[in-house]
Amino acid sequence: MSNRPRFLGALTLLLLVTGYTAASAQTISYADAMTVLARDCGADVKKFCKDLNLGNNEIRNCLEGNQGEVSPQCTATLAAVTASIERRLAAQAAVFKVCAGNAKQHCKGVVGEVHILQCLIKTERIDSEKCNQAITDAGWR
Amino acid sequence: MFARFLGILMVASALGSGAALAQQITDRQLVGSLDQLAAEAPAVDVGLLVDEVNANVGKGVGQLPNWSLLAQLPQFAVDIEFENNSVAIVPESYRTLGVIADALHNPMLRNYKFLIVGHTNATGKPDHNLDLSLKRANAIMVALATTFSVPSSNLAAIGVGQELPLDATNPKAAANRRVQLINLGVAK
Repeated sequence: MSNRPRFLGALTLLLLVTGYTAASAQTISYADAMTVLARDCGADVKKFCKDLNLGNNEIRNCLEGNQGEVSPQCTATLAAVTASIERRLAAQAAVFKVCAGNAKQHCKGVVGEVHILQCLIKTERIDSEKCNQAITDAGWR
Repeated sequence: MFARFLGILMVASALGSGAALAQQITDRQLVGSLDQLAAEAPAVDVGLLVDEVNANVGKGVGQLPNWSLLAQLPQFAVDIEFENNSVAIVPESYRTLGVIADALHNPMLRNYKFLIVGHTNATGKPDHNLDLSLKRANAIMVALATTFSVPSSNLAAIGVGQELPLDATNPKAAANRRVQLINLGVAK
């Protein structure tokens, strides 16, 4: 764990120096998904979905059910964040399967998901593209 | 220090917005606080917490045997705002739910069970506050377990109303209204 902040720091520096953005390939976190949802749909939630809650997808169902009336920006944002979150959850569920070969090859003797993930993050340069993409999409870098 | 600064910078650049971010919690902070479970951490029985608070409405629970144990467990307090007298979370607090969900999906935490404890301040009647805090804690648990896909077996929720204030000298202080997230240990 102690190497992780340093690694992330180095990655950040690299991203800043190269100006690299991988926006098209990125999934977003629940936190960022909720930020844009509140920004783009907050007014519609207060207008059409008052006293409904986040649980059981009530807000999403309400916004989709009122699609003719909620703002087009909200409708677009809702669809985008829903798709992105689904990709992220799928990646989280798949990481250790997708990366099993790399883990076996590069993380011999490493036990437990947390430690294997930390190892795979360190061996990024020699891991497969699919494995690296799964870790990125899972939001675990 | 340099690495830490870059880490903060990275979060800020990933979100692509302004200075207000310094005030916001991140899933990394949550993971860092919640994964520090000591080997000798006590086992907490949620049913006994409920019994204790129900028998002590208006009298406080800070000194009671089971509630005292919670202080020894890794925890984090967040502010989640609700509509007045309602269990509906306001959109301004959606992000906080998202941060909690990100943290609970992290491999560092996803094998642990978490207790969500709802607190009110001392405005209004203690009975009503206890009831409302339980309903709100439940609303948070249901949101995490459904919309945010956290396994429901990893979650429990209780309310404690106004009985465990953060600022006991000012029971009506807004700071006493909060939601605690407590690591109960490895999920069975």
